[in-house]
Amino acid sequence: MNESALLHNSLLIGAILFSLGVVGFLCRRNMIVMFLSAEMMLQGVSVSLVAWGRYHNNWDGQSLVVFILTVAACEAGLALALVLMLFHRTGSLDIAIWHQLREADQPAYADAELPEDTDAAPRHWPKLTPAGHEPQHSEEEELHRSHV
Amino acid sequence: MTTPQAVVGMGTLLSGGGIWLLLPGGSARSRLLGLVLGLAGAGCLAACGLPLGDLARAESIVFWSLAALTVVAAAATVTVRNPVYSAIWFALSLIGTAGLFFFQGAQFLGVATIVVYAGAILVTFLFVLMLASPKGHAYYDRVGWEPLLSAATGAVLVGLLTMTISNLLLSEVKAPTAEESKNLATATHQPGGVLNDEHVASLGAQLFSKQLVGVEIAGTLLLVALVGAVAIVAHEKQYRPSPTTRGAQR
Repeated sequence: MNESALLHNSLLIGAILFSLGVVGFLCRRNMIVMFLSAEMMLQGVSVSLVAWGRYHNNWDGQSLVVFILTVAACEAGLALALVLMLFHRTGSLDIAIWHQLREADQPAYADAELPEDTDAAPRHWPKLTPAGHEPQHSEEEELHRSHV
Repeated sequence: MTTPQAVVGMGTLLSGGGIWLLLPGGSARSRLLGLVLGLAGAGCLAACGLPLGDLARAESIVFWSLAALTVVAAAATVTVRNPVYSAIWFALSLIGTAGLFFFQGAQFLGVATIVVYAGAILVTFLFVLMLASPKGHAYYDRVGWEPLLSAATGAVLVGLLTMTISNLLLSEVKAPTAEESKNLATATHQPGGVLNDEHVASLGAQLFSKQLVGVEIAGTLLLVALVGAVAIVAHEKQYRPSPTTRGAQR
């Protein structure tokens, strides 16, 4: 196999993965998706490191990727604890809620109006024979699950 | 006029535009157009990949399938609006990455990626199921921060990296001669080389001799992260949100 071609192609894939992670981290507002994008950037770097290690016949690349895995595990634990805490405070995964943490001279962020979500498929629940009587619905309870 | 630079530029433009149209905020039709553009761009970028060698036809098919799986799943992770699907696509992308590790002979890392991330993804998945909005797509999943600027950033990044990689390997370093390639290929299979038969033993020997301090620091880091996570959650227990802030969901 042509080793330098393998290196070249792997670096290409690593670059694309890293860039996609950057785009996701910059653009998405869901905190969990932002976290996944950060992990994707680490994946891109890992692919490049393994490729360099193979090209130079050197174990350092793979050792570094082991450390990347460790850091990613730490990051997952901390990030998910933080996400859970922030969700507890606001009941939402939206990162824009925390925009009061911005710099003092920045304008407040205003949400744009968005048309109705048309392509979320309508849900068809199975029809079951009614048993007993229907309990009272609480609207607030349906909007978010208070016991999470 | 199809110089490599032109192909890279076109691939970058097309995939950047595709990602821009695919990111949340557009209509279904613009997403379809974005899908077509993105696939065309990915094809252009793949066209500047180098052939892996003449005798390795089956190998290059495997390599490019894994690469396509990884990149397409990664793009879907970023652009799909339902966070549950995002997590599933990310898992698929990880499987592709692990396959690439196997392809390059990094067996331990391939397995470790799957094992470590399977746990992480499972937990993420549980989080999504617990926290996601029960009614359709949440507002914040249907819009993004500045999709155009984000996609442009990504396109510039990938364009610069690709150009650098191509120039580095094509002009300055020069492709190795057949003899050099053969020497490298035999050297990697020697004892101590990255492709030798006792892969895990060699990696372990490297980690616990040359990288010993790093391993210790990594262990400490894990401990600190564990304590930190516990501290964050335990501190949160004392915080009692008022009813007005709790209902702030859109």
